[in-house]
Amino acid sequence: MTEHANDYIKPELMACCGAREILDHNLVLVGTGFPTMSANIARYTHAPNARLMQESGVYDAQPKRPALSVGDPCLNPGAAMIGGLVEIMGQFLQAGWVDIGFLSGSQVDKFGNINTTVIGDYEHPKSRLPGSGGANPIGSLAKKILIIALHDTRRLTEKVDFITTPGYIDGPGAREKVGLPPNTGPEVIITNKAVLRFDKSTGEAYLATYHPDTTVDEVVKNTPWKLNVADDVHETEPPRVEEIRALHEILDPNRMIRLYLTRGYV
Amino acid sequence: MSKVTTMKKAIADHVRDGDFLFIGGYICRTPFAAIHEIIRQGKKDLTITRSNAADDFDMLIGAGMVKRFIATFLSLGFHGLGRCYRRSLEQGIPRKIEVEEYTNLSLPMMLLAGSLGMPFVPVRDMAGSDLMNVKSFLGDNKYKVIDSPFDGRPTVLVPALRPDLAIIHVQQADENGNAQIWGIGGDCQVGANASQKVIVCCERLVDREVIGKDPSRTIVPDFKVVAVVEEPFGAHPGYTPGFYDVDFTFGNLYKEASGTVDGFQKFLEEWVLGIPNRTKYIEHYIQKMGYAAYKNLQAKFDFGYPVSYSY
Repeated sequence: MTEHANDYIKPELMACCGAREILDHNLVLVGTGFPTMSANIARYTHAPNARLMQESGVYDAQPKRPALSVGDPCLNPGAAMIGGLVEIMGQFLQAGWVDIGFLSGSQVDKFGNINTTVIGDYEHPKSRLPGSGGANPIGSLAKKILIIALHDTRRLTEKVDFITTPGYIDGPGAREKVGLPPNTGPEVIITNKAVLRFDKSTGEAYLATYHPDTTVDEVVKNTPWKLNVADDVHETEPPRVEEIRALHEILDPNRMIRLYLTRGYV
Repeated sequence: MSKVTTMKKAIADHVRDGDFLFIGGYICRTPFAAIHEIIRQGKKDLTITRSNAADDFDMLIGAGMVKRFIATFLSLGFHGLGRCYRRSLEQGIPRKIEVEEYTNLSLPMMLLAGSLGMPFVPVRDMAGSDLMNVKSFLGDNKYKVIDSPFDGRPTVLVPALRPDLAIIHVQQADENGNAQIWGIGGDCQVGANASQKVIVCCERLVDREVIGKDPSRTIVPDFKVVAVVEEPFGAHPGYTPGFYDVDFTFGNLYKEASGTVDGFQKFLEEWVLGIPNRTKYIEHYIQKMGYAAYKNLQAKFDFGYPVSYSY
């Protein structure tokens, strides 16, 4: 029987949810924070042959501490290969080698479209955000996209102010119509309250599992679109003992992931 | 003939108002010594580009040097949003810059195309996003969509970029400009080679013979280089593998200072305008932050097997 851990915080549960989406031998293009944690948890548990890469040019880094950016110095020593953006984003991602891309967004809508460009009007922004960076190509070209988001009615939205990164755009078939590779797109939105999956027949996210300290009603209430609920909706599996052990003993002994508590991931 | 010169002369001789600059770096090897000198000399109306811009671009924008930005992203990474960038676009302070937005795939590909002498390049991203719906100074030349002449699939074409000048920071170079790096590359190699000419800033000048001991590390050959400047600690607060680590404390200091117009101006006075060159910058850093802070940034050594090319 699977044993579960008790001593975990919400960002660690979210990281474990991400890890479970990764299969052995997957190539995973990661950013910082949860994505790296997730991919590494997978490597230390069920997917030892999964490999990570960072858009800045790094393949199979062996960092001694959690990376704080995709350009972090700790990604250099021990990597199997270091090139640049053309290698990772061009030769590996665009050429179709990347199985999983991880993204997060200031705004995410029901089709899994992500906004990291602007809140408000583009020409007269209320709040100007960083822009695409690697998000648009990762969301366009990785075979499966995992999205990390805060679960409230501001971050999740019926329609994003700006589609920086296309999810299912406005419904099924829309990606293929504009020339994006077939059978790609968001797989899951992992929030601090729930795991949402996508109904491929509508392109819309629905509630698959809710986290241990919440309820279906609370998740639905905090989602600004009419959230469909899976027939087999159930509680999210808590972190397994071996997942938490990998995090606490190897990947993040200083619990740097606590930083996300201050960013609302509670 | 040696191209070794001072940063002051390199910037004065090769950066003109209104130039289009590629500025290399990816937290790794940011050419900060050159950024500071551009601000000191008040070069204006610049167009700047690089994928994943950070504190250096934020500073140039805040100092009012920039007219246009061919962008993918700008943030202070761990330290959050670029405060000067936000002020520029949200409030027009000190001016509203014009931004043409691409991605970390399409922009490196545009630089690659420029480096290859190609007129444009097809890319597989951007389609279906609002990046297709916003156009700035490139207008209809931001991109074109065609049906591929080979398989009929809709295909996005983006134009090649050929900046007037690239400024890059590298680990070592010889006096003619053969420039060698190791560690995270970003778009430095394609950006430098897309440009008409290159200023190379390096941690250490080495003999041509040293370059020849490991020529596979060279990313820019000397014939593209117009000036070589030896600037130890020149990428600070970014890092240079094998030399020094990223400076999070200083990053936080910049974040805090740039939070207000006044704080940003004081930061510029203290760290840029009131400092004549990089040597004085290091002296000021040690005086202000302490020698221990400086010493703690210095890289440890962990050498691999030396390579041999002999036959």
